[in-house]
Amino acid sequence: MSPSAQRCAVHFERHAFARCMTCAKTLCQECATQWDGIWHCAACLGVKRGAKVERSPVFSWIAVVIVSAVLLFTGARLMVWTAAVLAGLF
Amino acid sequence: MTAAPWAGLLALTALPYRFLQALFLDQLLEVGSAASQYGNLLGGTANLIVCSILVALWGRAVYARACRLALSRGTAPGRETWRVPAAALASYVLTSSAVLLGAYLSIFTCLGIFVVAVFAGLAIGTMELNERVSLLQPFRLIGRHARVLLLLGLVLVFFCGLLVAFVNLAAAFGLAIWAAGAIGGFDAPNWQLLFSAGNRRFMLLMIAGAFVLVEPFWIAANVVFVRKAGAEERGDDLRAWFEELRRAS
Repeated sequence: MSPSAQRCAVHFERHAFARCMTCAKTLCQECATQWDGIWHCAACLGVKRGAKVERSPVFSWIAVVIVSAVLLFTGARLMVWTAAVLAGLF
Repeated sequence: MTAAPWAGLLALTALPYRFLQALFLDQLLEVGSAASQYGNLLGGTANLIVCSILVALWGRAVYARACRLALSRGTAPGRETWRVPAAALASYVLTSSAVLLGAYLSIFTCLGIFVVAVFAGLAIGTMELNERVSLLQPFRLIGRHARVLLLLGLVLVFFCGLLVAFVNLAAAFGLAIWAAGAIGGFDAPNWQLLFSAGNRRFMLLMIAGAFVLVEPFWIAANVVFVRKAGAEERGDDLRAWFEELRRAS
């Protein structure tokens, strides 16, 4: 069913405009808030705002950066090695 | 289509990477079987490729975000497209580095390179699902969305698309030279020699150009695939289906 054929969960006299991506409630234009490209109702947005932002541990950042650098460096060496082998084959 | 303007940024960031790849292949063909004696030359270009890939990865990440925003809103994404989450970008660099390594390890096999292409597509598709930086989570996400047979089909379609793009690009150059021949004072025969299949560098640049042309569609297809797979997982597709049935009854 298209949202316009449904009613807002808060204002029943209004047509629905969007659906909250967290609780799946249908919302009118006034009740729907878009955040980062996703529609939310006021209650779910409030919960999101109140939620403690979990930061990635510094250790994870260091590990990811080191592993990426090692993989990229090995990739560059492997590129030359593979090229030399291929050139020797043909 | 609403993310189309961001494809310009994608092409711009991919150009140095693709150009350097073409240069590397050109150098390899130039030195031929003596390649093992030109390690410094090839190694230098390989290092430049690795540096340029970081810029290309950022461009891909921005474009993938633009596709995701356009898909969820149905309108052209705005300035928020630039704000790619750092954790998502770091995860994407990690998975892409692994894909790069896998690509060179599997270059001697026929099927391996297609499987690597599947994982490369999933890496960009799942990029924004990484909310925190982790060594394993990005690979778990790729594994969760890996429907290898379906994605292998997608890779094959894009492989054909690559061939079509290559032929069209080469034909476009030929047509442009032919049309320019009509202009007085333009030395068309010399340019025809340069833009012909006999010129190795031209052919390598055409291949690189074909990759740049196909890349936006490839990324968009993978973003849509991951989003649809996620909708199936959460049951959004079933909810929509039930609503459709209710409306019909």
